[in-house]
Amino acid sequence: MFNSPCEILLSDIDLTDDRYQMSFEETSVAFLARSIKETGLMCPPLVRPTNNKCIIISGFNRIRAQLYNNETKIIVNQTPPDTSDYRCLLHAITALAFQRPLTHAELIRCTGRLSFFLEKEQIVQKSPAIFNTELNARFVEDLITIGALPDPALALIHLGNLTLNTAKKISVCETGMINIFLKIFSQIKASSSKQLEIIQYIMEIVARDAIDPTNFFNAKEIQALLFDENTAPGIKTTLLRTYLFERRFPTIFKTHQRVQEKISALKLGGNIKFLPPENFEGQYYGISFKAKRYDEFAATVQTLHTALSNPALKDIFHP
Amino acid sequence: MKIDTLFIDKDLPLTFEIDYLISKLKTVPQWIDDPSSVYNFITAADDPISKAKKTLYITRNKGAVIRECPGTSYYTCCDYTILHAGTFCTMDCSYCILQAYFHPPVLQYFAGLETLGHTLEKMFSKNKIFRIGTGEYTDSLIWEKVSLLPEFLVNTFARQNNCLLELKTKTVNIESLLSLDHNGKTVIAWSLNTPDVIRSEEKGTASLTARLEAARIAESNGYRLAFHFDPLVIYPDCARHYKTVIQQIFEYVRPESIVWISIGTFRFMPKLKQIIEKRFNRSTICYGEFILGLDNKMRYFKPLRIALYKEIISCIKEYAPDLMVYFCMEDQEVWEKCMGFFPKKEGELGRLLDKSAVTHCHLNSRLL
Repeated sequence: MFNSPCEILLSDIDLTDDRYQMSFEETSVAFLARSIKETGLMCPPLVRPTNNKCIIISGFNRIRAQLYNNETKIIVNQTPPDTSDYRCLLHAITALAFQRPLTHAELIRCTGRLSFFLEKEQIVQKSPAIFNTELNARFVEDLITIGALPDPALALIHLGNLTLNTAKKISVCETGMINIFLKIFSQIKASSSKQLEIIQYIMEIVARDAIDPTNFFNAKEIQALLFDENTAPGIKTTLLRTYLFERRFPTIFKTHQRVQEKISALKLGGNIKFLPPENFEGQYYGISFKAKRYDEFAATVQTLHTALSNPALKDIFHP
Repeated sequence: MKIDTLFIDKDLPLTFEIDYLISKLKTVPQWIDDPSSVYNFITAADDPISKAKKTLYITRNKGAVIRECPGTSYYTCCDYTILHAGTFCTMDCSYCILQAYFHPPVLQYFAGLETLGHTLEKMFSKNKIFRIGTGEYTDSLIWEKVSLLPEFLVNTFARQNNCLLELKTKTVNIESLLSLDHNGKTVIAWSLNTPDVIRSEEKGTASLTARLEAARIAESNGYRLAFHFDPLVIYPDCARHYKTVIQQIFEYVRPESIVWISIGTFRFMPKLKQIIEKRFNRSTICYGEFILGLDNKMRYFKPLRIALYKEIISCIKEYAPDLMVYFCMEDQEVWEKCMGFFPKKEGELGRLLDKSAVTHCHLNSRLL
């Protein structure tokens, strides 16, 4: 299948050609370099000879480790010159997939490249042999769809800033909108459900208010919020969600805020929970507190009694 | 009514009623043994809902002909009675609940006027006022151009005095009804909205002025009228637009001819949103300030509903202080804040409407 292992100059390897690199991991090769130094290169990388240079198919880290060790040569396996692109791609994917489960970003990259050679159904059928796991048709279709998103998407998926669900959701948007979402998710860190909520609110606001999405994104409030270097991504998520909720549901937001201010003005303390009706749809307000002793109970009741004469209480019931 | 495909149950006798339908539809019927042929035909389409609007299935009503309105708990219902004469609709309103209500949606005409007549006779013999309508699961008058049903119903209801027939529509299909001796027992009701909403959300329906003109003609032929502002859609400046519609009503018809006006803001089962987004991608009707109501339907935030209702009610009362105005599915707080009272007792709203029905349609007042 491959020619016998042979030793080549590291300078004969084109390190800039990453067409067969399926892994996203950019780990330090220091330990691997030490290991190779002490125990030798147990499994030679696989390269594809072309014209004057060789292209790496698998073993990117091993080659980097040799360079780290200041070696000038490396033992490699070479594919025969007539090996097709497709075969090389299969070697690249299987070498990684049978070493460890592929990440979502890697699966997207792999299926994307495979889709140049295989139909979706063929990928599904061959998936156990290629990916070391069975992939269903819908999942493969999703991976290919997501793979067609602009470049930052894959990196964001790899970093955990963009979930597959979210990526799939934005894949049906227009390019301008996709780029806006990718810019947003590059700045925040949110769970899948929060990402979907952010997308939904933005799409609904721009549709309802007939705003150009780019203008919406370029609004100074959004820009200030997203690109403040002193705010952690998690905090940015909270701030963005609050901002979007206020834009999406202005009356509900104001009502909640007003009632919350009135409740605070009652000075009920931490022990008493004053609960307005959910979404202000029902009519019943609730109140609850805990007491271990009689004097605690009496003090709480006294606090409630004091609140009775607070005008804020009447304002809550009769705005 | 534009029908591409017509299915008819094979075991239905070829009566004059069915013959009439076939002749009006001008579509070659396919006689079928099994309703699954219809369901499969519709569900196989890319957009089953659109397909169903052009596919008519003439069949028997295998369920109850008379049904109580499926009101929900917490929100006050008007105790309406539904005459189940057909399902679905040929018009295409974005907000229509029927899109999500039937699985799959099928435009059905329930044949059997004779059986229908027998069922109605039983209702007519009861010592109770009934407000009966065919416009819950279909538009009452889409059938007027192709079937004998509306005419049959008007004639049948004319011969009794405890039941009111309400034909609810967004069409102007009243021509065949005008010359009938309805005896005041039929109310022709129009669902109304602002021209903006009609244009953007009510595809295939008659314009506002066409509906009002039809109401004027119906009134001039002695018909009692009703109007339904349901769904009210909240959008910038909507209150002013709705007030203009109200003003127009009273330019076209006299308040005394109106049996009632109902109002209700847009509410929807959560799953309808996806359907609207898919089928009406320019519609923003679902992007208002909705919350999940206590009946698990999405409803406008209550303060917004109350604000719009107040404006509409005060406007109606300016033109017609004594007109019966009621809410469709609202709660005590909304009633009290907007109407100044709440029909608290079970059936109280129904009785108020019965009273209006008796007064306007000369039903038996001793049954109140």
